[in-house]
Amino acid sequence: MKTKLGILALVGLGLVNTAQAEINFNGFANLVAGTTGSKSDQLYGFDDNIDFKNGSLIALQASSDLGNGLGVTAQIISRGNEDWDPTFEWAYISYDATDNLRFLVGRQRVPFYMYSDFLDVSYAYPWITPPEGVYSVVFDTFDGVGAIYNTSLGEFDTTIHAMYGSNDDDFNLLGNDVSPDFNDLVGIAITVNREWLTLRGGYVQTEMNIPVDSLNPLITGWEAAGFQEVADNLKVEDDTGSFIELGAQIDIGNFIAVAEFTQLDLEGTSLGDQDSFYVMGGYRLDSVLFHLTYGYDEAERHNFVADVPTGVAPALDFLILQTSALIASQKEETNYYTLGLRWDFHDSAAFKLEYTDYTDDLNSNGDASLIRTAIVTVF
Amino acid sequence: MKLLKVFLFSLTSIFSCMSLAEVAVIVNASNGNALADSEISRAFLGKLKSYGDGSGITPVNLKVGNDTRTAFEKNVLKKSSSQVKAYWSKLVFSGKGKPPKELGSDADVVNFVAGNPGAIGYVDAGSVNDKVKVIMTF
Repeated sequence: MKTKLGILALVGLGLVNTAQAEINFNGFANLVAGTTGSKSDQLYGFDDNIDFKNGSLIALQASSDLGNGLGVTAQIISRGNEDWDPTFEWAYISYDATDNLRFLVGRQRVPFYMYSDFLDVSYAYPWITPPEGVYSVVFDTFDGVGAIYNTSLGEFDTTIHAMYGSNDDDFNLLGNDVSPDFNDLVGIAITVNREWLTLRGGYVQTEMNIPVDSLNPLITGWEAAGFQEVADNLKVEDDTGSFIELGAQIDIGNFIAVAEFTQLDLEGTSLGDQDSFYVMGGYRLDSVLFHLTYGYDEAERHNFVADVPTGVAPALDFLILQTSALIASQKEETNYYTLGLRWDFHDSAAFKLEYTDYTDDLNSNGDASLIRTAIVTVF
Repeated sequence: MKLLKVFLFSLTSIFSCMSLAEVAVIVNASNGNALADSEISRAFLGKLKSYGDGSGITPVNLKVGNDTRTAFEKNVLKKSSSQVKAYWSKLVFSGKGKPPKELGSDADVVNFVAGNPGAIGYVDAGSVNDKVKVIMTF
């Protein structure tokens, strides 16, 4: 699908080229290095070996204005942790119906979070990457239709972003490489901005079908034992996932503050519901921004085998034990502090340095510290 | 006496420097719309797209690094050059907008504004001619 859209976009650009329309190229790059504080620490894909690939990326965007409000854009990103294989992150045709209403058709970003639109453009925000605890939905993009409506009431600028589409990008779940189907993916995000204050709210929901191989023995076991309901609860099949985001940003003089809260509801599956938030405060001293972030995440799946009687049969007890362990593994309580700085040392580039102290309230073996540095640029 | 002359001379040169450094925000001479300072800022950030009479606004920038542009961004947009760059990179890479066209010199900006009824630009006050109208200076 990605490739098809990409080819479509490139063909689009090719057609434009023959029509002598102008193609604009823009790009951005983040070069990140990081290491954890000790041998046993692992965090956000980093360990105690200094790593230059995780979080590093380079992107190129080509766009062309076809006239009469029509435009074509393709954005290709090569990521270090994907062996620099380029993928089409965005590939869409845009149409400006009016000055205030734009439609996008093709591959684009799901408006989950405050920084979703420019998630990979580290130059556009204070951190090296937005706080991982909140920014944790397994996919970021979709294929479909988006509508962006801007309106101004006095000095209040409001943006309404609505979308419909699907996603089927592979990812890893419970140790399995899975090929999901996220269909009927619908979302809306509303952002209100006035001078130094920005408020945002978002809602996204999707139908989910995710075959997870490692769950199959349990599922067939429960079905054979006559507990179809438990089997259905284990499966991620015809379930609805929903996501809520609330965010606020204050940017006044030398002071910046950002907070975001998210809630992910995966009811009807064996996966945990997640609540996350972070708050960040920062202060600018000339070209250097100092910032401190605190974040908290918790996840849980209610025990859907609690009503199944134990001691009836060893095979059933075994199923209960295994399923309870899976449910327990979905529980999470973690928090972190990140202290960082951003130094705009050049018109188009910034240097960033961050230290993160991460605590796992359920298992102190999960505690970790991480130091990261980056050079980020737009061009 | 000689010292006083030197002093007066330096003072006049300082003043002339200051007047040279004055920045003028200009629109087409035929443009009768009034724009508040905050509206000028919103126009250059792509938030305000039309004048009071409904006609479209076309803002035009000088190149990045140009002193007049830096002064305009600091005083009118209340942002540093890198903050402006970060602002536009959010819009450019998400398909939500693109920054104003950039022109190479004050003369180019004056000519562009003189030739486009909806245009708005900013130049050193000394570059202004009678084909454009000054709506703000600082």
